[in-house]
Amino acid sequence: MKRILSARNDRALPFLLIAPTLAVLVALSIYPLVYAIKVSFQTDTSSGVQWTFQNFSRLVSDQFFLSALGHTLVYAIIALTFEFLIGLGLAILLNRQMRGRSFFRATLLIPMMLPPVVVGVVWRLMLNPNFGAINGTLKGFGANTESLTWTASPTLAFASIIAVDIWQWTPFMFLILLAGLQAIPDEPYEAALIDGSTAWQTFRNITLPLLKPAILIALLLRTMDLLRVFDQIFILTEGGPGSATETISLYIYRTAFRFSDFGYAAAMSFVLLLLTNTISLVYIRLLGKQEAG
Amino acid sequence: MRQNSRGTAVGRRMAMYGLVAIAVFAAVLPVYWMLTISLKSEVDQFAVPPKWLIFRPTLAHYQDAFVERSFGKYLLTSVFVAVLSTVCAIVLGTLAAYALSRFRLRHKLNTRLSLWILSTRMFPPIVTAVPLFLMMRDVRLLDTVASLVIVYTAFNLPFVVWMMRGFFNEIPRDLEDAARVDGDSRLGALRRVLLPLVAPGLAATAVFCLIISWNEFLFALTLTQTDSAMTLPVGIAGRVTQYEIKWGVMSAAGVVAMLPILVFALAVQRYLVRGLSLGAVKG
Repeated sequence: MKRILSARNDRALPFLLIAPTLAVLVALSIYPLVYAIKVSFQTDTSSGVQWTFQNFSRLVSDQFFLSALGHTLVYAIIALTFEFLIGLGLAILLNRQMRGRSFFRATLLIPMMLPPVVVGVVWRLMLNPNFGAINGTLKGFGANTESLTWTASPTLAFASIIAVDIWQWTPFMFLILLAGLQAIPDEPYEAALIDGSTAWQTFRNITLPLLKPAILIALLLRTMDLLRVFDQIFILTEGGPGSATETISLYIYRTAFRFSDFGYAAAMSFVLLLLTNTISLVYIRLLGKQEAG
Repeated sequence: MRQNSRGTAVGRRMAMYGLVAIAVFAAVLPVYWMLTISLKSEVDQFAVPPKWLIFRPTLAHYQDAFVERSFGKYLLTSVFVAVLSTVCAIVLGTLAAYALSRFRLRHKLNTRLSLWILSTRMFPPIVTAVPLFLMMRDVRLLDTVASLVIVYTAFNLPFVVWMMRGFFNEIPRDLEDAARVDGDSRLGALRRVLLPLVAPGLAATAVFCLIISWNEFLFALTLTQTDSAMTLPVGIAGRVTQYEIKWGVMSAAGVVAMLPILVFALAVQRYLVRGLSLGAVKG
């Protein structure tokens, strides 16, 4: 009897254990998406809520949306390129025996772990045109810093938020790529040494191909994060001056929480979702090919 | 000849250390600058050229921020929300991970459910922030600590499930089977045999959850409005974007928001790569 009972329990048990997690995720991840779809097809009028396609048709002619899309893509491409190149360089440097390696590794990771808000504070203090550490130091050397207004000038502000992203997230690339490098066995390198390959040949023919999965994963994760970037930009510039540094996430935030236009914000967030999903699928396809081949 | 090659080797070593030193400085210097601002009197804060090393330290800004202004309250809210949401996510997520790791479900449900759970983590946060705001408004939970605990629990759950599933999968089943032959129930074996074995991984996962909740900004910004439910990041952001900025107060709050994270990060260094691949630190 006891046996039968426990057998039946065993069949129900896994579902009992998973059910709470599924319930929470359905309620707080899936239901909000459905809710957002509903809201994106609605508009508030004086006579109540109406169903409409307007929120989606508005997208193509909205200059703010198109420029936010442009900002996001340019931001992502530039930041990704620099973070990857610097991160790879640092990973190669620290992938050899050197004194203090674990100390260096730990300190290099600090920017990435910081709360994004703290990153915003840190860089506001650095970039303040009058008393910031950067202009202050330049003035100390007698330089004229009048034109270096950083977050107050549209072009410099855009460059600044990218630079801050590079500062904060290069450590992430570095860490993932270093782990990838350390997973490569010694044998291929020994063979290359015997063959008399140059350092560049070894890097091209051995390191890069073997590191490719780690590279793809690092790029995938960073790309997803870059396309949704919000926190640091919100603290540093709030999308300004004007809308010079407004990314999609910031524009959605402004639309929803400043203008209370939730329908349009929801419509835009689906464009963002579509964009991130498409790009991640491309990466995952590449990764799959890598693993199959 | 030999002398020469030793010379270049030394040169290369120097160059290597030089480059690494530059990177370390670049990473740490801005943070150090904030630390000095939080300890400087206002006269020293605005000195040109900046005082990097020598100034008279003061704790006045910390007192100003945490005793006279509301940052003490934000700090308490942050601690409360982070701890409670971590506990909830760990309990629910570990049980689900155990089931997904140890039972073979029909219709490939193990893999399918796991992937589905992970996929809920992949949405950009702003996509769910808008409907979550409306939902919380509907049920009158806006501007409450409860709303944050609920949202952070859901946010951390997929992460916990995947981390813990990985740790469970690494432990051979024989150990539990032995315990069950000795008369333990399934859950008894989980508690007495499996959990002690995955304890380091469980601790690391919990620390990651604490970091994620502690750092989280967007949901806290959209779901709270007043001092009664604001977390430290939102409190800081509110001060930062004001017209007149109190540098000392802002930096003091920033330092306090940063310190626990640095300690935590040190504690989970071993698991950092695994955690980050599953989206730790930031949503």
